[in-house]
Amino acid sequence: MDNVLKFENKKAKVQNQDEIYNFAYLDENTKRMIRRALIKALCIPGYQVPFSSREMPMPYGWGTGGVQVTSSCLTTDDVLKVIDQGADDTTNAVSIRNFFKKTANIETTETTGDASIIQTRHRIPENQLKEKQILVYQVPIPEPLAFLEPRYQETKKMHALSEYGIMHVKLYEDITKNGHIETAYAYPVKTNGRYIMDPSPIPKFDNPKMNNNPAIQLFGAGREQRIYAIPPYTQVTSLDFEDYPFDPSKAPHKCSICGSNESFLDEIITDDDGNRSFICSDTNYCNQRMKDK
Amino acid sequence: MEPILSVQNLNKYYGDQVGCKNMNMTLYPGEVVGVVGESGSGKTTFINSISGNLNPDSGKILINTNNEIINFLEISESLKRLLIRTELAFVHQNPRDGLRLDVSAGGNISERLMSIGQRNYGNIRQTIFKWLDKVEIDKSRVDDFPRTFSGGMLQRLQIAKNLVTSPKIIFMDEPTGGLDVSVQAKILDLLRKLVRELNLSVVIVSHDLAVIRLLADKIIVMKNGEAVETGLCDQVLDDPQHSYTQLLVSSVLQV
Repeated sequence: MDNVLKFENKKAKVQNQDEIYNFAYLDENTKRMIRRALIKALCIPGYQVPFSSREMPMPYGWGTGGVQVTSSCLTTDDVLKVIDQGADDTTNAVSIRNFFKKTANIETTETTGDASIIQTRHRIPENQLKEKQILVYQVPIPEPLAFLEPRYQETKKMHALSEYGIMHVKLYEDITKNGHIETAYAYPVKTNGRYIMDPSPIPKFDNPKMNNNPAIQLFGAGREQRIYAIPPYTQVTSLDFEDYPFDPSKAPHKCSICGSNESFLDEIITDDDGNRSFICSDTNYCNQRMKDK
Repeated sequence: MEPILSVQNLNKYYGDQVGCKNMNMTLYPGEVVGVVGESGSGKTTFINSISGNLNPDSGKILINTNNEIINFLEISESLKRLLIRTELAFVHQNPRDGLRLDVSAGGNISERLMSIGQRNYGNIRQTIFKWLDKVEIDKSRVDDFPRTFSGGMLQRLQIAKNLVTSPKIIFMDEPTGGLDVSVQAKILDLLRKLVRELNLSVVIVSHDLAVIRLLADKIIVMKNGEAVETGLCDQVLDDPQHSYTQLLVSSVLQV
């Protein structure tokens, strides 16, 4: 009985003080190691910095890389927003937000403009980001050349010597098969005119937002143990051909909730007859537009 | 005329084993040099050493590019790799080593073009068709995967892939090995045509004297990692001096 009581007391304490967890879960030495990798990554835009990724209390593929980066960046004053495919209220977003609420006891928000750190899975918010904001991407496969050249040693050399012809072979194959560049997400970009980078599986619709963005963009791949970054106001260009220029593409529909013509849309099947509607994938953007009306 | 490639006192050892020893060779523009010898005589070690696939232990490899003579063994790795994908070409015995099997035939040919900065799909496509035509592959196969090609077609595709950027020196390691005789004849015919048409400088390795006789101007006969006889192809094959060359020539099967 005493033991049970003890446990209960401890649980209550955790809410206020960090007795079991260090601030933001990771220990200070690990955070320092990750921050070093982040600084190196910021100095060499688009270059993949290896780091010794830790086991996190969630499976690989659920954002372990992003969580470690967020954890290393968080301070007690930060306001955190977490989105999953643009939405604040899906499982991945909710559980990561709760994770940091519990382990760092920080303020969280759903409003893009109020957040100082935004962890995202596969989207960039519709609202323009500002200086002093940090966007943390969750990355499944950081190596853009991986599907063309499986040898890691070789891809490292190709990056070092800017041997990027093979990247265009992929786009060539796309045009040959489909008449246009079919790659619609994880569309490769060149960062600061040097490194070719996988922007994580964001839709190519979001690619132009990375260019010259005032916010810091950090990419964390937990399983693959790589960190890379785009510093503020950095040139990011999407690869293309002269006669097949990059096209961010936009579904020819309006959001059926807020009526926006500019946002990235999710397609929702509404009944068994194949009727469908399109709504903003960025829930915060959509809600705000409704409120403003 | 300046030689385009000159190899001087090249040595390559595998521990105590001799790979190739004290090798010399000069290759002039438009010339074909054949390297013959039995299995294990060091032919492949030699061609790999002079083409950048292997690091030789000592010696000089002087390449003449744009009237500038470069020692291939002393340049930076980035320049070396740049040369390998622009000025040099390597045709492997097994075309599967030189091709990307999960990339279409056209994609394979286009890789070198794009690596030297071509970014116009229409132009690239045109060049691909031109080269498919040159190596006698039907244009309709341009978007098919190499794994659907026959052995002879694969080899022709590999040749097109390598020649598309008009490299100055082409290395071929047993280009007709593993192909049946009629396909071999076709490839040889094609190679001979390309060599004459494009004035290619070629180093070709083969254990097949017939191949060498058909293509090569000069010949190097190797045994136990050393060159035992060199000279003009017809001269060496018609009047072999070294006992090993005599043995080699006399063991050719007559049909």
